Amino acid sequence: MTKRQGRLFFIVCTFLSAAVFIGLTIDTHTRFAELTNEEKLTPAVISGKDIWHANNCINCHTLLGEGAYYAPDLTKITQQRGTPYLTAFLKDPSQFYSEEQHRRLMPNPNLKDAEISDVIAFLDWVSHIDNQGWPPRPIIVSGTTIPDTDIGQPAIQASVSSDPVARGEALFRSAPPACNACHSVAPGANLAGPTLAGIGARAAAIIASPDYRGSAKTPADYIRESITHPSAYLVPGPMYSANKQSFMPDNFATDLDTEQIDSLVAYMETLK
Amino acid sequence: MRYRSQSIAYWYFAVAMCLFGLQLVFGLLSATKYLGPDPLLDFLPFDKTKAIHTNLLIVWVLTGFMGATYYVVPEESRSEIYSVKLAYAQLVTWTLMGVTAIVGYMFGWTAGNKMLEQPFPLKIVIVVVMLMFLYNILMTIKQAGRWTVTEGVLVAGLVLAALLYLPALLEYDNYTVSIFYRWWTIHLWVEGVWEMIQGGLLAYLLIRLSGADREVMEKWLYVIVGLVFLAGILGTAHHYYWVGVPQYWLPIGGFFSALEPLALLGMAMYAYFAMRRSGLSHPNSLAVHWTIGSAVFTVFGAGLLGFAHTWPSVNKWTHGTLVTAMHGHGAFYGAYAMIVMAIITYALPNLTVNRKVEGSSVGYWAFWMQVMGMFGMTLSFGTAGIGQVYLERILGLGYLDTQLKLQVHFLMLLATASVFAVGAGLFIWNFFRTPPKLAADVLVAPQHRIIPGMDDGGLVNQKQ
Repeated sequence: MTKRQGRLFFIVCTFLSAAVFIGLTIDTHTRFAELTNEEKLTPAVISGKDIWHANNCINCHTLLGEGAYYAPDLTKITQQRGTPYLTAFLKDPSQFYSEEQHRRLMPNPNLKDAEISDVIAFLDWVSHIDNQGWPPRPIIVSGTTIPDTDIGQPAIQASVSSDPVARGEALFRSAPPACNACHSVAPGANLAGPTLAGIGARAAAIIASPDYRGSAKTPADYIRESITHPSAYLVPGPMYSANKQSFMPDNFATDLDTEQIDSLVAYMETLK
Repeated sequence: MRYRSQSIAYWYFAVAMCLFGLQLVFGLLSATKYLGPDPLLDFLPFDKTKAIHTNLLIVWVLTGFMGATYYVVPEESRSEIYSVKLAYAQLVTWTLMGVTAIVGYMFGWTAGNKMLEQPFPLKIVIVVVMLMFLYNILMTIKQAGRWTVTEGVLVAGLVLAALLYLPALLEYDNYTVSIFYRWWTIHLWVEGVWEMIQGGLLAYLLIRLSGADREVMEKWLYVIVGLVFLAGILGTAHHYYWVGVPQYWLPIGGFFSALEPLALLGMAMYAYFAMRRSGLSHPNSLAVHWTIGSAVFTVFGAGLLGFAHTWPSVNKWTHGTLVTAMHGHGAFYGAYAMIVMAIITYALPNLTVNRKVEGSSVGYWAFWMQVMGMFGMTLSFGTAGIGQVYLERILGLGYLDTQLKLQVHFLMLLATASVFAVGAGLFIWNFFRTPPKLAADVLVAPQHRIIPGMDDGGLVNQKQ
């Protein structure tokens, strides 16, 4: 090979690759609107994106898997946590997690109420982007979808917060026995008990169904009843109940006080 | 040093070394935050130290590239730099921009776009500095009326690097579109034109250090840069996985990313065989270490560790985990930090007084501690990343709970990073140990006279 042929190879490779790349870029542009639901890019979403940038969120978190790996991925966070939870969290993250237990904590971003709602709108828009179904399994922030995988972790007996949702989440992982030993909050991940993802929304449908014989009138009542009287309504499936008796322990009505049960209900209602 | 204006390079290298030292401070600070709790949470949380760490890297490596160009171009074009004053004005502006950016980040002045955090006014300063630099270099070449392929590749790489920064100036309402164009700058820099710059510097160093035939080296330089572009341009697709773009980027990313290690392996073989075949041994064997080391570490860090997670069915699970940090550290260090330290090590005996060409034992300690430390760091990130993928992505353990289980890997990271930092500290100390030559000390060879000898490395074969 001569130097001229070497140069020719360089020129051909570069121009061919660049031409294909630019062609695909143009085609991709015609698809952005459909893949990212551009019609839902409201002013609130765009303002949320600006707040996301201004607070340098990407240098701890990941979004669509891109970022800094120091804090949880937020691609589908609005599908795992409801707006009331996220709002309370963004007002003061230290109410939900503690540095002593988790070794790291999100600094308070000091956002105004309107800014918080814009950020949540932005994250919700992101969660609906068509990204080839990633993540293949839900990435959850804390807790576990598999029983016993949190053995050896510091026991999280009580929340550091007085917020009912935060206290409820902490109880979810510690109430004897811990709810998350049997229930995941990830969609589709049924363990010993059914997943509680979306329980806030699903409860209403259960109450309205003809199979329901309990006394609950609202989703909150239904969740409370399921905790205190697990057999009042039986989720279909031989792995959950037999002889009209739920497999879920029925000690919660006596072992937890009213305030604790209220917290659990408040937390689970946010699982939309 | 055959041209007075080559001494400009010393000051660029000096600034690069200071910023390199600072980068390590922020890197170590970030590493300790993995272990937590963080006493600096309210003043300097992870997001700030991490942004400063990566930005300093980009700035010091670019400073090194510019210094290297001021060193290489006079020799290749056989002419003094067009304007020495402009070169110093450029350095001052650039340094001020860098310092402003760092202080700004500390107080929350950021554009918040990963790697492109520079606020808009600073981005404009960067563009202006690049224009000053390119004007000076291109005028030098024009004035000399002579250029070589080696410097052509180096300068073309820098021109393209400046051009590819332009998409970073635009903002998009659609987050996916903004991701799409972020990688036009970052990926096409790192796996495209910066490798072109690395190739140009590598060719320059190999010709000087091994006395290899220039015609042969430049022929293969074309082939290697061609391969880098063939794999690298469409390899951008591996940044388009799972971010809201069409499906076809997945197979394209997989295929062309698989070609990338081959292009880099080509570069390493290029360096290795040049040294083997030449039969000459240059007295500056420390520079030989850095040169070959850069080519080899690039295959490992950028090539193999990159390919470890760019196949789509693997990346589906590893995307957004510490596996990426493993590749990032290995790639940037091998390809860019090491090539800048290679050219510094090569040039330093000429740029400073009382320095032995062969280098000193401190220099070797600096080399080996850095290489071993960085190897350990990539292993720490890699094992932490694999643990994270298994626990968090496959078993479904929560993110925070998983991170608690990875503490031992973070301890290993801190230990190996400390070894690296000592090596880097020795390199920086060794750099500043002897004073620079003043312009008056420089013995300038008469221009347009070819002196046969090793440092001419093949120039004699060059057609006039």
